[in-house]
Amino acid sequence: MDGVKAALVLFVAALLQLSVLTEYRTFRTASIVLVALLSIALLRGSIFGAVAGFMTGLLLDTATLGTLGITSLLLTIGGFWIGRYGETTARDRFHAPYVSVAIVTALYLFGQLVLQFMLGEPAPAGLVAHGVPGALLLNLILTLPVYALIRRLFPPLELGDRIREVRLLG
Amino acid sequence: MPRNRTVRLAVLGSSVQRAAPSGFPSSRSSALKRRIVVGFLVLASLVLITVSFRSSALDSVQGTGATVLRPFEVAADRIARPFADTIGWFRGLVDAKSENEKLRAQNEALRRQLILDEGAIHENVELKKALNYIGPPTIADYDRIDTSVVANPQSALDESIVIGAGSSDGVQPNSVVVEPLGGPDGSGALVGTVDRVTSHASRVTLLTDSGSAVTATDVTNPHVIGAVRRGGGSSDVLILDRVPKTPVVRIGDTIVTAGSLGTGPLKSKFPRNIPIGTVSSKSSNDTTLFQSIQLKPLVDFSSIQTVVVLVPKGH
Repeated sequence: MDGVKAALVLFVAALLQLSVLTEYRTFRTASIVLVALLSIALLRGSIFGAVAGFMTGLLLDTATLGTLGITSLLLTIGGFWIGRYGETTARDRFHAPYVSVAIVTALYLFGQLVLQFMLGEPAPAGLVAHGVPGALLLNLILTLPVYALIRRLFPPLELGDRIREVRLLG
Repeated sequence: MPRNRTVRLAVLGSSVQRAAPSGFPSSRSSALKRRIVVGFLVLASLVLITVSFRSSALDSVQGTGATVLRPFEVAADRIARPFADTIGWFRGLVDAKSENEKLRAQNEALRRQLILDEGAIHENVELKKALNYIGPPTIADYDRIDTSVVANPQSALDESIVIGAGSSDGVQPNSVVVEPLGGPDGSGALVGTVDRVTSHASRVTLLTDSGSAVTATDVTNPHVIGAVRRGGGSSDVLILDRVPKTPVVRIGDTIVTAGSLGTGPLKSKFPRNIPIGTVSSKSSNDTTLFQSIQLKPLVDFSSIQTVVVLVPKGH
């Protein structure tokens, strides 16, 4: 059931990204897909995040007629990494989604740059460096509503289990 | 009043068996399983990149996928359109008054210019006929395929758009793409060229891409010949490069595609006289051989809605 919900959420996010957000230059650096994916990965773990990232990347590359696999690779690694963070240290901390989005946004942009450079395509580093602050700001603003919505759709599963970690005696 | 309290100790860690976390499906699974899954996905991505980049084996699959996705993208665009139009309406309202005055003055100047131009055009046609002159192709020598933009650029690095016409509509790789109302007379302004074609969709590399360049000339001074390409920085400023210092370029001049008859592969793929932009600044110094000319593009590359693809007649 979670898989179907995630597919639906990421599909809608991809459509919003492709048809609505990128129509405005100001919002072109924002990535609602990345924010949605990281939120899901944080709440559902590394394997879920990696698979969702791979499929979402494939969808985006297909729709934009780009080189297949580039976005998949970056989103797979991003989803896996943040999934691991969610499984280990993040654990329902308030700052976790914001930290995840901020770090992965910057790494995602530079990852794209490195891959383009490795494929021999134009890779203007200055352009990316110039776009990072805007992308960080917009993605962090998007994180608040997107994470809240995704948390409702994918409620954290481990709340009941954590209480067992402390046993009361006496 | 004595208080009855029971002493309760909280013991952390060693003596208590920690329950196996049951929340994350993947935390239950072994590290090995996790590594296998992510390793497989990374490997699959690398294989996809290699195959997609080095061959066209996946093009048909990708084309089919893009065709399947297109109705959803169109639906999303139609849902969002009223909101976008409302924002555009308010934005237009702010500038409307000043723009109105400017446009009135411009309209009057263009009226006067039109009277002069009509005479010159008539004379030009007569002279060409008399001399049996064969010039470079113009937009009139091409068939036009009108289509809409399906996907805009996706990131700061991406300078391409996806359009809703493909090989089944007659679009070919390297076809020239113009915006229908971009030019000063509404005749169209250069957007870019088609670099990837599937049956029902194509990818267009914009003129603002670092890899794009087009030979261009000044419409008022044909001795000015240079190459238009992307300028530095993150804005959409273009530069007219390789123009020697001798020919005079004035601020406000319109720069158009030069076209060229050439022979074989040297023939320009751009028809002559497609407007590109207007000169916004120029300078030169003693250390360089060429002028430094900046252009303001006639197309707003961030909000292209419809385009026209030019294909050779009788495709």
